[in-house]
Amino acid sequence: MDMEFKKLCSIIVDVLGVDEDEITVDTTFIDDLGADSLDVAQIIMGIEEEFDVTVDSDVASKVTTVGQALELIKNAIDD
Amino acid sequence: MSKKYVKVAVDAMGGDLAPAEPVKGAVQALEKRKSLHVTLVGKEEVIRAELEKYKYDEERVEILDAREVIEMAEPPVNAIRRKKDSSIVKGLKLVKEGTCDAFVTAGSTGATLAGGQLLVGRIRGIERPPLAPLMPTAKGPVLLVDCGANMDARASQLVQFAQMGSIYMRNMTGIENPRVALVNVGAEEEKGNALVKEVFPLLKECEGINFIGNIEARDIPAGDADVVVCDAFVGNVILKLYEGLASTLIHKIKDALMTSLRSKIGALMIKPALKGMLKEFDISSYGGAPMLGLRGLVVKTHGNAEAVEIKNAIEQCFVFKKKDINGQFVEKMGLEQNGKAAGQKAAQEEKAAQEEKASPEVKAAQEEKSQAPAAEERSADQ
Repeated sequence: MDMEFKKLCSIIVDVLGVDEDEITVDTTFIDDLGADSLDVAQIIMGIEEEFDVTVDSDVASKVTTVGQALELIKNAIDD
Repeated sequence: MSKKYVKVAVDAMGGDLAPAEPVKGAVQALEKRKSLHVTLVGKEEVIRAELEKYKYDEERVEILDAREVIEMAEPPVNAIRRKKDSSIVKGLKLVKEGTCDAFVTAGSTGATLAGGQLLVGRIRGIERPPLAPLMPTAKGPVLLVDCGANMDARASQLVQFAQMGSIYMRNMTGIENPRVALVNVGAEEEKGNALVKEVFPLLKECEGINFIGNIEARDIPAGDADVVVCDAFVGNVILKLYEGLASTLIHKIKDALMTSLRSKIGALMIKPALKGMLKEFDISSYGGAPMLGLRGLVVKTHGNAEAVEIKNAIEQCFVFKKKDINGQFVEKMGLEQNGKAAGQKAAQEEKAAQEEKASPEVKAAQEEKSQAPAAEERSADQ
């Protein structure tokens, strides 16, 4: 498990109060973890803070799975 | 600062009457509460110019410079994410960091609701923080939970609204055993939509609240309950209808009283009585609408709040902190002990109870189903 995924899981656990075991790259925020759009926004803000990156609002609004959030982190770090 | 102060951040740029009224309200609150400290958030030079109009204890006032203002029409989540130098974002961050205990704003409701959750965050175990204004009734104020934060609430969330509303009312208005009611289209338990039918038994079983059953909207102004529970869609409709109807009626009465000389003389005679009655219906004395269940207190006042409402909202924060109402939420709702919220626990228990009550035929079918794989395994062994 890479460091980015670990940190992302920690943000998700903190925001949603779910068990870390429930989270895989295929997990969807809304259907699997019971999140709503505000929760997802909170996770995106957590990502921005933790990784010191800025996520474009249009990109952020398309994130539905943990894998997509991970991809977003990796792209933002590469930029 | 050796003395233990209650620290309240005030949005000096929020609302139609900013910065004059928020600053004036803050000064009035400082005058009244000697262990209060206020941080005014907004454009420093503008705040200083306002403060120069008053005498106040400078030791208990700070200014946090914020150059941006979130406008009412801006999309809330985007504004919170992008306007990091705004008075709302900076004020909420003071609460998040623990520098202040509470934040008061007359600014954008949407940004305040989004920012409360995004920046301050929920108490662990609280599923959703509701916005809970007090409304006037014939028998004193009623707390409407939720009126704006959660349009599609779940049953377990409404249970938490009832619990938090009950604790809040007990502490803030002194009602010993607040009557909690669920908004419905009839008094009978079997009435309503799927959500209220699911919530009713959970509230009936919920410990620590005085649940009196369903309430119809027409009985709210009569004061038949102290805490009225609903999702934000219903709550917002109730609140707006309440405000609109009250305003229309007052205008109609005024028009009627001005129609003839006789009615004008009559108006003069009843004026003191009418004024007294309207004062009873003035809820600005209770401050603003709190967002309950956050890791600090966030209070939203009316957009056109005058100094007195801001002052009362600051005092509301003072009492909230002094009475440790967040601590009471945690303790009385069993939030830390259970990890999951009491509402969720209640929902799980209810589900288990329903399974227990299932008819013998359903039970037999369930047992048969659960035994089927075992039977298949046995036959495979043979």
